Amino acid sequence: MIRLLNICVIVGLVVAAAYVYRIKFESTRKAEEVARLRLEIRREHDAIAELRAEWSKLDNPIRIQDLAQRHTSLRMIDSHQFDQLSNLPDRPPDLVPPDSPDPIGSLLDSKDLPTASVPTPSVPTPRSAK
Amino acid sequence: MTAIDVAQDLVAEPAPKPAKVPWRRALMRTLLYGRNVDRAAKTRARLGLMIMVFALGYTVIAGRLVMFAAVPEGHMGRRTMVQDAIATARPDILDRNGEILATDVRAPSLFAEPNRIIDVDEATELLTGVLPDLDTTELRERLASRRHFAWLKRDITPKQRAEIYRLGLPGIGFLPENKRVYPDGNEVSHLIGFVNIDNQGIAGIEKWLDSSGLADLHMAGLATDHVQEPVRLAVDLRVQHALRDELLKARDKFKAKAADGVVVAVRTGEIVAMVSVPDFDPNNPREALDPNRINRVTTGVYEMGSTFKALTLAMALDSGKFGLNSTWDARAPLQYGRFAIHDDHPMGRYLTLPEVFTYSSNVGAARIALAMGVDAHKAFLKKMGQLDRLRTELPESAEPIVPRHWGELNTITIAFGHGLSVAPLQAVMGICALMNGGYLIPPTFLQRSEADAQKLATRVIKPETSDKMRYLMRLNAEKGTARQADVPGYYVGGKTGTSEKVVNGRYAHDRVLNSFTAVLPADDPRYLVLIMLDEPQPLPETHGFRTSGWNAVPTGGAVIARIAPLLGIQPRFDLPPADQLILGQTTASR
Repeated sequence: MIRLLNICVIVGLVVAAAYVYRIKFESTRKAEEVARLRLEIRREHDAIAELRAEWSKLDNPIRIQDLAQRHTSLRMIDSHQFDQLSNLPDRPPDLVPPDSPDPIGSLLDSKDLPTASVPTPSVPTPRSAK
Repeated sequence: MTAIDVAQDLVAEPAPKPAKVPWRRALMRTLLYGRNVDRAAKTRARLGLMIMVFALGYTVIAGRLVMFAAVPEGHMGRRTMVQDAIATARPDILDRNGEILATDVRAPSLFAEPNRIIDVDEATELLTGVLPDLDTTELRERLASRRHFAWLKRDITPKQRAEIYRLGLPGIGFLPENKRVYPDGNEVSHLIGFVNIDNQGIAGIEKWLDSSGLADLHMAGLATDHVQEPVRLAVDLRVQHALRDELLKARDKFKAKAADGVVVAVRTGEIVAMVSVPDFDPNNPREALDPNRINRVTTGVYEMGSTFKALTLAMALDSGKFGLNSTWDARAPLQYGRFAIHDDHPMGRYLTLPEVFTYSSNVGAARIALAMGVDAHKAFLKKMGQLDRLRTELPESAEPIVPRHWGELNTITIAFGHGLSVAPLQAVMGICALMNGGYLIPPTFLQRSEADAQKLATRVIKPETSDKMRYLMRLNAEKGTARQADVPGYYVGGKTGTSEKVVNGRYAHDRVLNSFTAVLPADDPRYLVLIMLDEPQPLPETHGFRTSGWNAVPTGGAVIARIAPLLGIQPRFDLPPADQLILGQTTASR
């Protein structure tokens, strides 16, 4: 009985040693992987922080205003240029049925064809005072 | 315990018949063990006991191993992170729309371990080759010392780092550090403040961050973590820019010494923009030491001039003793002892209370304050927070200059804003309370909801008085001194203030401090704008005038036209004049 137990224990020991070695090896590998990923995350964080700082520097209103003044002829917005959606005129009636196979042809056929339109200026002329 | 039981059992078994042994050994055995003892059985029992003991020992070890495996790793992972950041990581500061006002980037810093350096001269020569701005003698001294650690240069560029690395010097190393950057430069300087080389807040919101817990975190060594919750301020970068841009233009145009402005949300006390030019670049904190670049909105105290008439009139209206139709004698300058109070535009007749406001009559305001009495005047200003130091999140604040002996003459002058110096932000807080229905709300740089503001608010005047004050402000923009700021569509109300500065103990006529306070829209106030110009000069366009209506008011108008769309105020046209829209509502609701 004792001998059987001894054999069992020795076999168990060998198996356990092998298993523990494998686990140890695996865990070392995993730990290295974790450290690598952590470093990578940290570098990514740093890169993101740097890019965000650069972005907001480029996005800075002083710079945008400078660029706008130098390269465009935009003027300051006037309070008269704002309006509400409810003040929009109704949509004009469709001159062409939506499922027409020949839209231009049916447009030419329709009786009340608009001939010309007078566009309203979107920007009011500045008052003489300014 | 069980092992002992087993052993006893084994002993108790009836012993098998002993084998034949020589008598001498039998004698020895008897002497040693006793007469009827079976040695074989006893040995088995002992072995069993040993097996038990060892099994128990190994079970304990196995159990402990399982515990190690099951409990997740504790502080092992953290240890590597702490040592690589010396300067504190600070949370990002964002504006109310999430635009970055201040953030951290990582920059390498150069250090030396002088005791490990072999050739000091060679190291000095090579290092100054890469970093020409290093002082050679100082560098040599540092390297020649036998210390274990010395900083050589903080935040170098990655390129310099690579070059130094390639020099291959022993005893020279790099540490990554957090460096604070302010992408918006001058734009938010006074508000944000700045940090020192160790990333500790020195001024502004940065200092406030430190005092509200960050410094303790840093002391505990925990503030190195990169991910901290960003701090959101109430300031709107776009509004801030518009205000600053217009103030810079006005400062150039009128050749003023300084210009400053604030935009405050009337119902919450949030400071949406605050500018004081000349300002500084927080990336270069040395500029901030210039005393000319102080934050005039919170750190300066000024006699606010006619702006204070709003408080005087509100006091009279709120007392219930005087109404909008009361009249005041402004036929002649007011004589008090050897002093005479004059009007800028003497009308030479009795004025109604709204006329006192729109003509900005010093005599009228003084008579109103006198009619209320010195004590009532003082108590009212105390209630409006004008006599105590106003504290906000910013560490910089100033005590108002209050006359030590407050007599009738003081009341007369303070009625039209002379003789009492307050911080502009303080005056803004008072005027806000006159506009928003009578709630005095301490201003804040952090975001705050209307419900939270209501909890902090104290009622100082009646809602009806507030309605009347808004009527007066609107009236002043329709036909008074603030006409040039009446941007169509926003129903602006405003009050001007021109105060002469004290030079050598006398009021100087050619040095004025002009202010303009505007509320928009006056019928349902949402924002209050204060513009101040320090010593603006008369121009041909202003017909040689230097009063507020000619410089601060047009500046205010330009600011309002720019910021109102940003603040989401809808333009409305064809609104009835103030006496119908605001006063009409009041009488209807009563």
